[in-house]
Amino acid sequence: MKRLANFYTEREQSILGGGFILLLIVLWELMPHLVPLSKGFSLFFTTPWKVIEAGYQLIVENKIQEHFYVSSIEFLAGLGLAIIVGLPLGLITGRSRDLDATVDPFVTIFNATPRLIFLPLFILWFGIGIWSKIMIVFIGAVFPLLINTYEGVKNVDRVLVNVVRSFGANEWQIMKIVVLPNSVPYIVAGLRLAIGRAILGVVVGEFFGASKGLGFLIATAATNYKVDVVFAGVAIFMGLSLILTMAVKKIESNLSRWRPEGAKTF
Amino acid sequence: MGAPMIQARNITLVFKSKDREPVTALRGFNLEVGKGEFVSIVGPSGCGKSTFLNLLLGLIKPDSGEMTLGGSPISGPGQERAMVFQEFGLLPWRTVRANVELGLELKGISSPERAQRATELISLVGLEDFERHYPHELSGGMKQRVGLARALATEPEVLLMDEPFAALDAQTRDLMQTELLQIWERTKKTVLFVTHSIEEAAYLSDRVIIMTARPGRAKETLKIQLPRPRDYEMRLTPQFNDIKSQIWDVLKEELTSRVPQ
Amino acid sequence: MKKKLFAEHRRFWLGLGSVLFVLAAWEVLLTYVFPLNPFFFTKPSLIAVAFKEQVIYGALWGDLAVSSKAFLWGFSFAILLGIPLGALMGWRRKAGYTLDPFFTALYASPLVALAPLIIVVFGVGLFAKSVLVFALSVFPFIFNTFAGVRSTDRLLINVVRSFGGGETDLYLKVILPSTLPYIVAGARIALGRGLVGIIVGEFYAASEGIGYAISRFGDTYRLPEMFAAIFLLMIAAVGLTEGMRKLENVLAPWKTTQESR
Repeated sequence: MKRLANFYTEREQSILGGGFILLLIVLWELMPHLVPLSKGFSLFFTTPWKVIEAGYQLIVENKIQEHFYVSSIEFLAGLGLAIIVGLPLGLITGRSRDLDATVDPFVTIFNATPRLIFLPLFILWFGIGIWSKIMIVFIGAVFPLLINTYEGVKNVDRVLVNVVRSFGANEWQIMKIVVLPNSVPYIVAGLRLAIGRAILGVVVGEFFGASKGLGFLIATAATNYKVDVVFAGVAIFMGLSLILTMAVKKIESNLSRWRPEGAKTF
Repeated sequence: MGAPMIQARNITLVFKSKDREPVTALRGFNLEVGKGEFVSIVGPSGCGKSTFLNLLLGLIKPDSGEMTLGGSPISGPGQERAMVFQEFGLLPWRTVRANVELGLELKGISSPERAQRATELISLVGLEDFERHYPHELSGGMKQRVGLARALATEPEVLLMDEPFAALDAQTRDLMQTELLQIWERTKKTVLFVTHSIEEAAYLSDRVIIMTARPGRAKETLKIQLPRPRDYEMRLTPQFNDIKSQIWDVLKEELTSRVPQ
Repeated sequence: MKKKLFAEHRRFWLGLGSVLFVLAAWEVLLTYVFPLNPFFFTKPSLIAVAFKEQVIYGALWGDLAVSSKAFLWGFSFAILLGIPLGALMGWRRKAGYTLDPFFTALYASPLVALAPLIIVVFGVGLFAKSVLVFALSVFPFIFNTFAGVRSTDRLLINVVRSFGGGETDLYLKVILPSTLPYIVAGARIALGRGLVGIIVGEFYAASEGIGYAISRFGDTYRLPEMFAAIFLLMIAAVGLTEGMRKLENVLAPWKTTQESR
């Protein structure tokens, strides 16, 4: 009995948290048996098991692979572009006051606005193929990367910079030796945010104008009242988001082992 | 001396935690402080001196033993004693004045009365020009003066001070010590002062209690035979050095001989 | 003299200069250098005209009002539910343990993916849009309040308790003011997410609102009007966000929160 109590106290956190989620899923599954549902409501209702079945069917009938592939390309290309543009820009604006002042109003304005606002424009320009999605992913993901890299660079310890400079290092070397390693936690935090925005871009981009992709799948399923497919799609996105976030967190902890308590940007 | 103001008999306190072995902070701790006395407690790190202050405050209860304050047993915080904290503990969103009024507010004292008390105390500690400032605008010494004013505002019988000057630089510390003595002479409170610094203890107190290492109890008490009022020059006399050596000799044993549990 | 004026506000002038430069270059390039295909491009002068028409004489103002209404409904509920929930999680450890993983999972998933479903279930209109805004903006409130309550300085809690403060006192005098900066920062993040909600809701299926207006203009290839609507939203968004920042500074001058924008 004592062993059980000890087991509980040690893992209290996960037991309570995991247990709650499990409870909700079970209740959800049992709901149609416990509560009578009106005809209209049951049209929109589904249960976890049905969702899993739907997902399984999609995979088995090979319906999902093509869509998954398209969404992945949009995601990776957009994110990749965001990294290529955002990181260097963040580094430079962090180091150069003047450049920062020049770029700042644009960054502030674009960051405050929901970037999805440009979706109709991008569809106008790029059509409903993958490029409009890539662009919306790019514009969503580039800002967290840019801003966080900028913050990372600005927060570098002046003392360290002076130390390296006193050994005769030039701007490029300072960047490489001091600024970049110091900014890593910030950049990684920015990456985490960027991934979230990127997924958002893929999802909404495909809702609004697409002929392929996971988001498109979800949208068409919704209009056809296939609620189980909708949730299956959402669950897949959720899973992907979780996996990517955990991967980034792992990279973050590996790269930040020397830090006492890193800069926890949200 | 009359009935003691603070009395602790055979206090034992054990800290239990779920991850580690229980830690006995105090065992068989005895202490007496007379009314109007200034008593310091010195001891090795972890010996339980701060814990004892918290017990006196009423924030935690001992596992065994009795404590009385002014003759009555201790039942909860807020009566008859106030604490000055090492890290100041000022509410950052309140001005100096509002911080000083905090204790009075919690006691339900009316606004005009609070304002008056606060004004008196703010001028006692010399912060009249900074009434409307916020803690983050003050230096360490100033912050602690606010802490002191706040503690005195509720007119406690006993002032508990938990290494109040430890976070200050050496010069400010010396200044604050002298100021504290001046305020003490004027207000005649009973003071129980915890510190790491032998010099500070010797300079300020009537008596110095030296604690053992954990589990802590009172090892020895030294009466400080220096005249009052005290001034800085006394610290430079050979007599003062003797006193310091005496304290050190007793303390020394606790620092090397026993390994804390 | 002129040099000094420039140097003092260098940052401002550079910023303003670059924006004006971009607008001017845009205008010049599309007037004299590149052919202006009205189905794909437009230029600032045309946008300005469209802006005047639509905002002052046209329906755009009404659209903005419709969007704002839905936004405010969703956002208000997010505040009403999110803050107490976050506070509960922060104050009661067990509640925090239980709810944290669940909310984290929800927060991490693209809840917008449920937008089509919400529209299908609740139809097109105020309610559906508000639900979407709520779903997206409630989480920053929950998590930031949670973090804020948890980060309350234990020392301050001890201080208030040492003066005899009760549970209510702790809430009102310590936890609430201490959490406020976190809540305001959370509001800023929630604002951004809520805006996404309203836009997506209006894109997907709506008959009114700024998002709808933008997509309608896009469908009909009315680019100047579309850009005008986009700019209107940009102005609103920037205004709200910067307003939030100012509010943060006013409410919490003692705190410099480290937040990514």
